Amino acid sequence: MQNIEAIGIGQNHYLILSAIIFSIGIMGVLFRKNIIMMLMSLELMLNAINLTFIAFGYFNGNLNGQIMVFFVMTLAAAEAAIGLAIAVMIYRKFNEVNIRYFEQMKG
Amino acid sequence: MSTFIISNLWFYVLALSLIFFAFKVVTSANPIHSALHLVLTMMGVAGLFFHLNAQFIAGVQVIVYAGAVMVLFVMVLMLFDLKHEFNAFAKGLVSGFLKLMSVALVVGYLVGVFLESGESKGVKASLTTSGDQTSTQLQVTRDLAQLLYTKYVLVFEVLGVLLLVVAIGAVAISRIQGGTHAKH
Repeated sequence: MQNIEAIGIGQNHYLILSAIIFSIGIMGVLFRKNIIMMLMSLELMLNAINLTFIAFGYFNGNLNGQIMVFFVMTLAAAEAAIGLAIAVMIYRKFNEVNIRYFEQMKG
Repeated sequence: MSTFIISNLWFYVLALSLIFFAFKVVTSANPIHSALHLVLTMMGVAGLFFHLNAQFIAGVQVIVYAGAVMVLFVMVLMLFDLKHEFNAFAKGLVSGFLKLMSVALVVGYLVGVFLESGESKGVKASLTTSGDQTSTQLQVTRDLAQLLYTKYVLVFEVLGVLLLVVAIGAVAISRIQGGTHAKH
């Protein structure tokens, strides 16, 4: 485990993997119309960002990246709670969670 | 020698399964299936964290993400009863093509930046040096706690206030009865 760089798996491997996962998350946000699916894709993107933080921290011998991952996790939980509350509100009003109902929300 | 191969294999197996599961999250029509695939993705990311000597973060990832947040998602999905979703994907060929192109642009940009910037031959200092694996893990977790409660203690407190605001706000949003512009 300590000699990963010696045989080729370095920082770039992790960064490219997280870039691919992040782009799959963007694809989900763009292509799905269900609010909950969009929130799940956002969680996917945040996971990719966390992977980037941890990889940079590991390969530079720095712990600040792991602290940032803590904060990102907290923010992700907060965002999921608020987003799901809005989704519940939309569902009670229109009996469907589709992104096109967002334009009818006025305050 | 064999540990090298195992470590290589560990990364590639995890990476391929992560990409597969992430793709399934986005493409499955049933939201329950994609939620379960998202749980698998988070477990895979936790495995990569473990591989990167962030054992405590890996545990937090499994408990908080794959546990709490995903239970929240699945519970709301069960509440909605969305087994068959008719218009799961956005329609429109031209806009779909544009979206796909923009995603491809983003991934190409990111990978290009990573490849152009070159491999940083980092010092690999305190995280990996000292010989005994167990003591290193303990040390990383201890340093993490010290950093969290000394240098970043203000951010920690602010996040506590934020979580309080979010808890109250979620209850307020879900109990709201139409808002200021409502026509009763």
